[in-house]
Amino acid sequence: MLAVEGVSAAYGRLEILHKVSLDVGPGEIVGIIGPNGAGKSTLLKTIFGYLPPFEGSVRFAGDTLAGLSPDRVMRQGIGYVAQAGGVFADMSVHENLVLGGYSLGSRRAATAAIERVYAQFPLFRARAHQRAGSLSGGEQRALAVARTLVVKPRLIILDEPSAALAPRFIDEIYATLAALNRSGIALLIVEQNVRRILDAAHRIVVLDMGRNAFAGASAELRQSDRIRRLYLGEDAG
Amino acid sequence: MVEEILEFLILGLVLGGIYALFAVGLTLIFGVLDIVNVAHGEFFAIGGYALYVAMVVLGLSPAVGLVLATVVVFALGLVVYPLLIAPLQKRLGRRAPGPLFLVLTLGLSALMQNSLLAAAGGEYLKVPPAVKGGLDLSFTFVSGQRLLILIVASLGLAALFLFLRFHRQGMAIRAVAQNPAAAQSVGIPLGRIFTLTIGLACALAGLAGGLIAPLFSVYPAVGFTLTIKAFAITILGGMGNLLGALVASLIIATVEALSVLVIPSEWQNAIAFGTMILVLLVRPSGLFGKKQP
Repeated sequence: MLAVEGVSAAYGRLEILHKVSLDVGPGEIVGIIGPNGAGKSTLLKTIFGYLPPFEGSVRFAGDTLAGLSPDRVMRQGIGYVAQAGGVFADMSVHENLVLGGYSLGSRRAATAAIERVYAQFPLFRARAHQRAGSLSGGEQRALAVARTLVVKPRLIILDEPSAALAPRFIDEIYATLAALNRSGIALLIVEQNVRRILDAAHRIVVLDMGRNAFAGASAELRQSDRIRRLYLGEDAG
Repeated sequence: MVEEILEFLILGLVLGGIYALFAVGLTLIFGVLDIVNVAHGEFFAIGGYALYVAMVVLGLSPAVGLVLATVVVFALGLVVYPLLIAPLQKRLGRRAPGPLFLVLTLGLSALMQNSLLAAAGGEYLKVPPAVKGGLDLSFTFVSGQRLLILIVASLGLAALFLFLRFHRQGMAIRAVAQNPAAAQSVGIPLGRIFTLTIGLACALAGLAGGLIAPLFSVYPAVGFTLTIKAFAITILGGMGNLLGALVASLIIATVEALSVLVIPSEWQNAIAFGTMILVLLVRPSGLFGKKQP
């Protein structure tokens, strides 16, 4: 469904990604791991259009994404959850969801869609008029996920959903993600928390120094001593 | 004395309405695009010229003239982003240095001012008041034009705030001001929002220019002092804070009007800008703090 092939990208003259490839099938969860500075977040930004690749191709359901701006990539059916601060902090929870439906074109279409999201996340209905910035870190992360659901994406890209969260909230966000996946949504997740993503993902892609270092099933990765030693460190335990 | 104070208070409110139309737009552009529009005063001037052309040259009604002033300047504002700012942003990449945009709008200001001078000449054009008569409050007489300014400025600002609060595109403008990357991720095209924002802000300036034209005269540099004053207001209200800009407009205008009672009027502008520098030194984030459109 998502096919990234030989993508290279740079910030100015600083090349971050070198011919990276990966793919995500329908309904699949793919995790991206690797050391700090491996280019994991940059890869997500390149796929979503924040950073144009200077070579390689990004395709989604047959359509080419490379060169499109994020607002147009989003309209292809891809949601994006940023690492932190992804919500509109000075707006209410409800306004955040209304904006999630911006691409639906009309307020009426958005209202029905938001009703569906409220049914899925009752907490947000109760807090509809609360300032999004006053929610806890975990709730803000969940709101950012809920906001992508207003338009029924086929794939959601998440940049470190567990970052800076207490274990209890990490459990909650991953339970939410698992439920979304069961409903048929594919997920592409960058994660530092290796144990967590090995449990959640069907397949893992390891990036190192901006290059593909490994790709395979989570179980396969767990069994490879070399990969464990090189990329997972003690986290792999 | 009390009657005099009341009289100048009313004058302050009228002037405050004009300042607010102007400064709220300037603040909106800053909050959304991170750009200080030095040419804002020229859009204000064009509003005055548009009213002059509509009423004096074409003999249209004042109401049509005011609508025309707003619409013409709105249309001019709409082309600023796609024609000037977007190409510069594109050439400079993601981290375009802010001072270049300051120079760009300064250049636009000079270009527009000189074009007005060449096209319309430098003389002070008189525009008849849109409404005759006025309101006799026993202690003072408020002219119809001043009442009109108060009412139309209030309506214009209320419309803007309601638009930003409730309309889909208004919410998108606030979203871009708060978090451009997140705004893009929900499908908001930044370019269109930037275009609309400058258009709206300029429309308010054009409306202000048309409203005040019958009280002052219309000439190419009529907006210049107002631009500088609006910088003071923007800083006092907190850069990017719309409500702050509104309140600061009323404060500055009232203080300015009342100061005539105690300070010789030739010192008025010096005092206003002295206050701005003082506020910058004492409270750089303004009276109302951070940006929150």
